[in-house]
Amino acid sequence: MLDIKLPEFEKKVYPELELSLLEPSYKINLRGKNRDFFTKAGKLLSIMLPIESNTSANIKNINALWLSPDEWLIYGKDIDKNLEINLNNEISKLKYGSVTNVSDQWVIINFKGKNIFEVLSKGSPFNFNDFKGKKNVVVQTLLNNVDVILHHQEINDLNLFVRKSFSEHLWLWINDSSRFI
Amino acid sequence: MFLINCPYCGERDQSEFSSGGEAHIERPKQPTELSDDEWADFLFMRKNIKGIQFERWNHSHGCRKWFNLIRDTSNDKIHGIYKMGEKPPKV
Ligand SMILES: [Zn+2]
Repeated sequence: MLDIKLPEFEKKVYPELELSLLEPSYKINLRGKNRDFFTKAGKLLSIMLPIESNTSANIKNINALWLSPDEWLIYGKDIDKNLEINLNNEISKLKYGSVTNVSDQWVIINFKGKNIFEVLSKGSPFNFNDFKGKKNVVVQTLLNNVDVILHHQEINDLNLFVRKSFSEHLWLWINDSSRFI
Repeated sequence: MFLINCPYCGERDQSEFSSGGEAHIERPKQPTELSDDEWADFLFMRKNIKGIQFERWNHSHGCRKWFNLIRDTSNDKIHGIYKMGEKPPKV
């Protein structure tokens, strides 16, 4: 990870909703489509990349999010730095796919509580009716016109990914919206 | 506003997508052999019909994949969606 200043968001508590920053976290973008790519990625991550759309897979502290038929986001706290080196050596350098460290590109905001979807629904065109009842589901959509990735890892426990340059603005919007649930 | 069924992500709101204009316009194989008028035709001239039109769309705020869509431009009714490289279904 580069030495880049992270945003400083203090934990906020609202009725049935807790917001906090989940940083620093390790994030790697993986792209590839052939069989060798899947085998290598599976071996190095000890996880099968999810091929079903809008889902995620998880083992210990590593999460793999489906982003498109040939793109995944790997993330987690305290991931061994050798993982990226190994992925680079065995996937990128051998041209099976591409590996990009996006740790400093995305900022993760964690949402906990029953009112998560009350707040998100205020500014997103996505229909959360089915999504909120399922865990290990992922959606890329808009929130207050900002691109976000939402990872519903456990019921009422969700990680929101936002590009760092938009994060301060979106954090303020989320907090404003949370005051009026 | 209307819903679009992304062939990869499922049904999503139109605001997540960007329109890429008319589909199935083939790039001329030998652009240097075309007259200026023919080249301008390829670059700029679109049918822009009222009725059923074949279009390219991109799920720009989702999976970022391109796909084709058959839309009635008079009422925004969608008559079919198919992936890039696939043959258009009969309408
Ligand atoms: Zn999509």
